Amino acid sequence: MIHITSTDRYRITRWRVVMTNILSLAAGLVVISFIFMIAGVNPLFAISEIFQGSFGSVYGFKETVTKAIPLILIGAGLTLAFRAKFWNIGAEGQLLMGAIFATWTGLTFGDTLPSWGIIPLMFAAGFLGGALWGIIPAILKIRYAINEVISTLMLNYICAHILTMLIVGPWKGGTRFGFPGTDTLPEAAILSVIPGSRIHYVTLILALACAAILTMIIYWTRFGYEARVVGENPEAGKYAGIDFLKTTLILMAISGGLAGMAGVGEVAGIHQYLGYPDSMSSGYGFTAIIVAWLAKLNPLYTVISGLFFAGILVGGDAIQISLGLPAATVNIVNGTLLIFLIMGDYFLNHKISITFSTP
Amino acid sequence: MKKWTLLLLICSIAMLGFSAGTAGAEDKKIKAGFIYVGPVGDYGFSHAHDLGRKFAEEKLDWLETVYVESVSEADSDRIIDRLVQQQKCDVVFTNSFGFMDSTIKAGERYPDKIFMHCSGFKRSDNVGTYFGDLYQMYYLNGIMAGALTQTNKIGYVAAFPIPELIRHIDAYALGIKAVNPDAKVHVKWIYAWYGPDKAREAAESLIAEGCDTLAFTEDTPAVIEVGQEHTEKGKQIYTFSHYSAMQPYGEDSVVSGQFMNWGGMYVKILEDIQAGNWTNEDIWWLAKEGAAILGGNETDPINPKFVDDLKQAMVQTEEFGEISAYDLVMTRYDQMKQGVDVFDPFVGPISDNKGNLQIPAGERASKDDLLSIMYYVDNVEGTIPQ
Repeated sequence: MIHITSTDRYRITRWRVVMTNILSLAAGLVVISFIFMIAGVNPLFAISEIFQGSFGSVYGFKETVTKAIPLILIGAGLTLAFRAKFWNIGAEGQLLMGAIFATWTGLTFGDTLPSWGIIPLMFAAGFLGGALWGIIPAILKIRYAINEVISTLMLNYICAHILTMLIVGPWKGGTRFGFPGTDTLPEAAILSVIPGSRIHYVTLILALACAAILTMIIYWTRFGYEARVVGENPEAGKYAGIDFLKTTLILMAISGGLAGMAGVGEVAGIHQYLGYPDSMSSGYGFTAIIVAWLAKLNPLYTVISGLFFAGILVGGDAIQISLGLPAATVNIVNGTLLIFLIMGDYFLNHKISITFSTP
Repeated sequence: MKKWTLLLLICSIAMLGFSAGTAGAEDKKIKAGFIYVGPVGDYGFSHAHDLGRKFAEEKLDWLETVYVESVSEADSDRIIDRLVQQQKCDVVFTNSFGFMDSTIKAGERYPDKIFMHCSGFKRSDNVGTYFGDLYQMYYLNGIMAGALTQTNKIGYVAAFPIPELIRHIDAYALGIKAVNPDAKVHVKWIYAWYGPDKAREAAESLIAEGCDTLAFTEDTPAVIEVGQEHTEKGKQIYTFSHYSAMQPYGEDSVVSGQFMNWGGMYVKILEDIQAGNWTNEDIWWLAKEGAAILGGNETDPINPKFVDDLKQAMVQTEEFGEISAYDLVMTRYDQMKQGVDVFDPFVGPISDNKGNLQIPAGERASKDDLLSIMYYVDNVEGTIPQ
């Protein structure tokens, strides 16, 4: 007889975290290799093309960094919310609200203010927009016990429709010949990029700084401690006199605000105008949930997991372009890798022992 | 010693460069990249372009192509970069209106490459535009719809409120009006190019509102499937296929439709580039150039099932007196093939549905008018979403 038992693991070393992730990734790649073989492509060639396309070439790496910027910003903000067990699924909407606020600011003041005046103003406006959109579900949860998974998710759609309403209606640009979308932002309101790339470095620096500052907040401040208590032991938190409303409002303002800033980066750094929601964000708000999770809810690690995930997304291009496989293959590969990384979590938190015995 | 090695190295690199240069001149290969907004299996716009790409690749032995499907507008910059930098494409075709700004920006980044943007209005030194428009075929569909409808309520499932769609809806409505002034067109917007679920929902709700005839602009046969289902249950719904041969999805429902043949246009553009004759001038092909084709499949302009009905449906026209709807369609189709100066749907007097005269009597709408058209003609119900 074979007995499989699983017991909780209490001490998890950093070394074990790294090894589990690497092994999960390797196991995922083995499964993906079979998929490539079925499609008639040499798996070693395919996998090397994917990593060439994301990390192994200068061009690919630049694109990976570009795509990592919003993922790091949003992911870092989400770690804070998730630590307090506030399941914020609404980063996509918070990003769009940030983009809306920043576009308004840019279009209104971009012609009169110089770059060093307008850019910080846009980021502040974007933070405010994202924060406001993040605070709504926080109030709903604490005051009226409305499940935040539902409210944050639904607010995504509301925000997408508000944006659509603005660009087909009052904000439709005069230079767009009747097509939906605002006018292009004034020169001063556009973020400059590292030459030869699309990396809007201001947002990149902000993202790295935010990840670092958030780490300090979570581990070193009273607020960070309170946020963790709210999540892990609300009963104890109540006895200790933690103001749940205040703590939740602040942490959702930060989480939503960072997503809003990511929206500023996308609209002012990449697109330079506000268009349909789908073309402003390719689902960063949702991808960042996984980024935060892979970082084990440590904001600093979102820099690594954000880069890694951006790499998978960018490397996916190679599957289509170099290997000539259909676009759906990209999703299969990304999905498979993810499932294995998440499965790895189980083995990280549980000790599995297999024993053989004769009856 | 080291200096000599370096010199040798530089010489050999230079020679290599020269030999590569001369080899290229003898047999000038061109690599073209195609970027599609939807999946090539979508049975609509992207599918039609991909047929064109394959046609060109087969015909031109010096051509190599690569394509990327399902590219979201948020990612188009990156994909263009990749095609130019990694795949070394000489020409990049970007096939969705939403790629316009990305294409113009790419033109600035890569001044020695050529970019062709489909359906846009912005051009620069190395960025040209091309489009094949189907509005004439919508007019012909409209004639058939107007002749066949019993309820005088005709539905249209539409993707996005942009001039291209308005032009199609208006042309369709003008065709209907030519044979049946009492019928009205009802439009439902779904805000998606590829949205079979939304298209299905819109089609069902139009039928529920009493429409018995449906046309659409969306990249799947969803609307046709709805029409076929209702027809099989005993309620005849007439549909018109769009962009690809979708008749097999609704043999009892599809009356006709239209599709686009991009192959000829791609061959012309690429041959011009090869011969060095390329300019950024806008290319706009219609029935005359063989780009716009009538029918729900490749062989029949009108589904044989409905030919008799259309032959029996007699209509009054100023130009031909009493004529069957079938003959009218065929006559107009023939005239369109001769050119827009022989016959075009957008000849005044045409009023919008708010009562303003938009095209005065006897005048023909210019290409620019058509490209920026943003009003419903007078037999379309409702207002364009603003």
